[in-house]
Amino acid sequence: MAIDRRLLHNIDWSMLLTSLLIAGIGVATIVSATMNSRYSGNYVKQLYAIGLGLVALLLTVSIDYRRLVDRAHLLYVPAMAALVAVLLFAPRIAGTKRWFVIAGFQIQPSEFAKLVAVLFVAKVFAESKKDSLGLRDLLWPGVAVGLMAVLIAAEPDLGTAFTLVPMFLAVAFLAGLRMKAILALAAGGLVVGALSWTFALKDYQKQRITSFIDPGADPRGAGYQKIQSEIAVGSGGLAGKGYQKGTQSQLGYLPARWTDFIFSVLAEENGFLGVVVVLGLYMFVLWRSFETAGMARDRVGVFLATAVASLLAFQVVYNVAMVAGLVPVKGLPLPLMSYGGSSVLSSLMAVGLILNVRMRRFVN
Amino acid sequence: MRLYEDLRGLQRRLTIIQAVVIGAMVLVTGYFWHLQVLRGRYYRELAENNRLRTVPIPAPRGPLFDRSGRILAENRSSFNVVLTTEHLRHRDESLRHLRQLLDIDVEAVQQRLNTKGPKFRSVVVKADASEGDVATVEARRLERPEMSVEVVPLRSYPLAEAAAHSLGHVGEITDRQMEHAAFEGIEAGTVVGQAGLELEYNRQLMGRDGVRRIVVNSRGVEVAEAEREAPVDGPSAQVSLDIELQQAFEEAMAGEAGSVVVLEPETGEVLAYLSNPAYDPNAFSLGIEPELWAHLNKDPEKPLINRPIQGTYPPGSTFKILNALAALQENVIARNTRFHCPGYLAVYGTVFRCHKEEGHGTLNLERAIALSCNVYFYNVGIRLEIERLSRYAKMMGFAAKSGVDLPHEVSGLFQDPEWKQRALKTRWYPSETVSVSIGQAMSVTPMQMARVAAVVANGGRLVRPHFMRKIGGQPVNTEHPKDLGFKPSVVDAVREAMLTAVREGTGQRAKLLGLAVGGKTGSAQVVTSARLASDKKARKNQPHGWFIFFAPARGGKPAVAGAVLVEHGVAGGQSAAPVVGRALARYHGVPAIGPGMTPPPDTIPSPPQPEAVPVAFVPDDPPTPAAPSPAPPPP
Repeated sequence: MAIDRRLLHNIDWSMLLTSLLIAGIGVATIVSATMNSRYSGNYVKQLYAIGLGLVALLLTVSIDYRRLVDRAHLLYVPAMAALVAVLLFAPRIAGTKRWFVIAGFQIQPSEFAKLVAVLFVAKVFAESKKDSLGLRDLLWPGVAVGLMAVLIAAEPDLGTAFTLVPMFLAVAFLAGLRMKAILALAAGGLVVGALSWTFALKDYQKQRITSFIDPGADPRGAGYQKIQSEIAVGSGGLAGKGYQKGTQSQLGYLPARWTDFIFSVLAEENGFLGVVVVLGLYMFVLWRSFETAGMARDRVGVFLATAVASLLAFQVVYNVAMVAGLVPVKGLPLPLMSYGGSSVLSSLMAVGLILNVRMRRFVN
Repeated sequence: MRLYEDLRGLQRRLTIIQAVVIGAMVLVTGYFWHLQVLRGRYYRELAENNRLRTVPIPAPRGPLFDRSGRILAENRSSFNVVLTTEHLRHRDESLRHLRQLLDIDVEAVQQRLNTKGPKFRSVVVKADASEGDVATVEARRLERPEMSVEVVPLRSYPLAEAAAHSLGHVGEITDRQMEHAAFEGIEAGTVVGQAGLELEYNRQLMGRDGVRRIVVNSRGVEVAEAEREAPVDGPSAQVSLDIELQQAFEEAMAGEAGSVVVLEPETGEVLAYLSNPAYDPNAFSLGIEPELWAHLNKDPEKPLINRPIQGTYPPGSTFKILNALAALQENVIARNTRFHCPGYLAVYGTVFRCHKEEGHGTLNLERAIALSCNVYFYNVGIRLEIERLSRYAKMMGFAAKSGVDLPHEVSGLFQDPEWKQRALKTRWYPSETVSVSIGQAMSVTPMQMARVAAVVANGGRLVRPHFMRKIGGQPVNTEHPKDLGFKPSVVDAVREAMLTAVREGTGQRAKLLGLAVGGKTGSAQVVTSARLASDKKARKNQPHGWFIFFAPARGGKPAVAGAVLVEHGVAGGQSAAPVVGRALARYHGVPAIGPGMTPPPDTIPSPPQPEAVPVAFVPDDPPTPAAPSPAPPPP
C-alpha cells in the first residue's frame, strides 16, 4: 500500500515533531528517574519502543482512515478476544493480568483495545443520521464499549477502562446527545459509583480513593504515593532542582516514577517552567487534533479525530492532575512520556490517526 | 454540498468539547503554579525532611586519672552492630535474619526498639561486636542495608571491680532519667553516668556530641553525608584515688564483705575506697545483660550497695574516740583521769558489762582507749550526759551526709532525747546514755567514721570527703576543712592513745615496722547478746569488725586516715585491723609486725628510724615531738 506523495506532503509535520519532542523529553526524564536503580537501562527500551511506534504510526497513516473506521467492527472481535485471552492466560504481574509476555516483551492489549474502541465509537456515531440522540441511541454502542471496559477493568486496570468513558461521552455529545440524556447519565453514574463502591471495588481500589480524601490517615501506605508526588512537584519550585538532581526521585521516595508518575519527576527537576513547557507541547498536540476534527472533510473524519483527541486529552489531564494530587491515584500512563512500550506504541498510533484524518482532508 | 451544512452543527459542539479540554488544562496548570510557586517553600522543606537526618556523633567522655596520672577510666573504640529503625515494616524479618547471623538477644532488642526516641535512630543490636561479626554484617551491606556497623567510644575501667563503687559506671540513659532535670536535653540512646563519680559529674565529663547531617534514601539508608560537626571530647579529670593504695586495700580485703575508706586527713581527698563484694563496671558499658543485672540484684551479699556511704552500722567501740574528744574538750576528764574497772558498772539499776569479765583494774584514758575498756567510757559518758554526747557527735558529722561527691549517700542515725521524743514519743532514760557511751543506739557509715579518724589525724578539723581534684585542669572541691575548735592538747591526747592501741593494745595487728600507725578497734553487734549466745556459729549473727586508723606521710606518700569495716568480722582487732596492717605494709613496703602477722624474715629492716616515730600530721602542730608517755599499767 504505497503512500501517495501528495499525502506525505500534507502530513502535519509540526504535530508529529511535537509528539516526538514530548517522547524525547520522556526518554530524558526516564534516564533521570532510573539512573540510581537497576532499571537504568530502561530508556534504551523506550527508544526502541518509539522507533517501533514510528513504524506503527506510518502504517496507521498509510491506510485511509475511512477504511479503518469502516472495518472497526472487524477489529473489535480480535481486540475482545485478546482481552479475554489476557485474563485467561497472562501471568500475574504485580497482582494484575494486564500483559502478555512474548519473547521477553510485555504487551498490554488494553492499550490497543483503546484504539479499537475509538474506531468503533467513531463508526457508530458517524453512521448515525439523527440530529439529536437520546439515551436509547447510546444503548448498543454503550454495551459494546462497556463490555470492553469491563474486561479491561477485570484485569484489573481501572485507569485504562476509565479512559473509555469520557471518550465515549465526548463523541456521543458531538453526535447530538440531548441535555436531558446527559443529566440522566450523570445521575446514573452516581448510582453505579455508589453500587460499585459497595459491591464491586477491590480493597486496594477503595483505599486509593479514601487515601485521596485523607492521605494523612495512612501516610506510609496508600496515601504515600500521593503525598510523595505532591512533595516532589511542590518542592520543584519555579525553576526545579536541576536535571537528575531531584531528591524525591533520586532517593527513591517516589514510586512508579518512570511510569505513571513520570510527570512528577519532570516537575521536581524542571520546576514550573518545565511543567509549562511540556503542558504547552501537549496543548499544541491537542489543539492540532481538535483543529483536525474541525477541518475533516467528512463525518467519519470529524468523529474519529474527536474521539482520538478526547482520549488523549483525558489521559493527559487526568495523569497530570493525579501527579499534582488533585484526583485519586489510578494506574494511568501519561501518553508519549511514560515508560512502557504498549503505551508509547498506542500513543503514536493515536497521533497517526489524527495525521491520517488531517492529510486526507483535501482528497476525495 | 450537504456535507458542509451538516458539519456546521458539529462545529459548535466540537468547540464546546475543545473549551472543556482547554479549561481543564488551564486549571491543572494553575494548580501547578499553586503547588510549585506559591507553596514551593513548604514542599521544599518537606522534601528536605524526607532526605536529611540528623545523627549524633557520641563525644567520648572525659578520661579519669588517679592522683598520679594513672588511668582509672578511658574510652576504647568498639564496634556496634546497629539496626536503623526508620521502617519497622520489616523489623521482625530483619531481626530474625540478624539472629541467624549473629548471636543476639531478640527480645532485648525489641525492648530497646520500643523505648521512646526520635523517629530516625540506630538501635544497637550487638554491642562490642567481634571482628567476625563486623565482617559478617559488612558483607551483607547491599542486601541488608538497614544493618550497619558503627564505631563508638566504649567506657572501660582497667581496675574493674577494684574501683566500681567510686567511679561508678555508664550506660544508656533510662526513661526515668530522661524525665529528670539533671539530664535535661540529653537525647535517648546517649550514654550517661549511672553511678558513682560518672553520675555525680556526668554533665562535666560528657563533652559535646557532634552532629552528622546525612542524606538517606526512601529505605532510610544513608547515601551521603551533607554536613559534619565534630564532637568535643569530655575534659579529662583527676580523681584523688591512689591506685596503689586502692589495690593494696583490695588485696587485703579479698574475700571479705565490707568497706574501706581512706582519706587524706588534711584535705578530705579520698585515697582509697572499697565496697566488697564489688561488680565489674565494664559489664555496664556494653549495656548490661538482663541476667547479670538480675543476678547482681539478687545476690544476698548485695554487690550493688555502695557500702561505705550506704551501709550503716553501730560504731561500737570506735565511738570511744569521739567520747574521749568530747570529754577532754569539755574538761569532764583530764588526760590522766582514772577510773576503776571491775568488769562491770552497776548504775541506774542495771549492770553494764565490760568485755573483759575480770575487769581492767584502774586505768587512765590512754590505757582505756588502748584496751577498749567499756567501764571507763560508761563513766565518761555518764558525766558528759547525752546532750553533750549528741552535740559532739553531730558536730563531727553523725546523722548527716558527709557531702562526699558520690550520689545516694545516707546519713545514718543518732538517738538522743530529741530524736526519741520526735520518732518514738517516749522520754530518754539515763541508762540509755550508758549505751551511747560505747557506740550503741546509733548507726554510722564507714565514711562518717573515716571523717572522725581524719579529725584526730589533722588536729581537729572536719573534712568534706571528696574524690574529684580537677576537671579539665580546673581545681574543684577546694574548700578548707572546718575547724571544730578542739584544744590541741585534746587531740594530741587521743592521737597518742590511738598510737598506743596499735603499739600494745587491741589494734596490734595493724602494727608496722618503721611506721607509726594509730587506731581504734570496734565491733558492731548485729543481734542481741542473748540471740548471739543462742546461735554463736551462724555467720549472719556475728558482729561486724571496725577499725578506724591513721598513719603518717612517708616517702612522698600522703598521710592517711580512714575506716575499715569487715562485715561479720566479729572483733575489729581480729578482722579489720589486720586489713589495715597488710594494706599499709604493702603500700609502704614495710613489714607488718603485729601478732599473727608474719612478715617474710628477710624483709625485716633495721630498727625503726627515729624520724619515723614523730607523728607530724599537721603543719601547724606544735613542733614538739609527742613522746609517747604511757601511764604505768594498773596493777
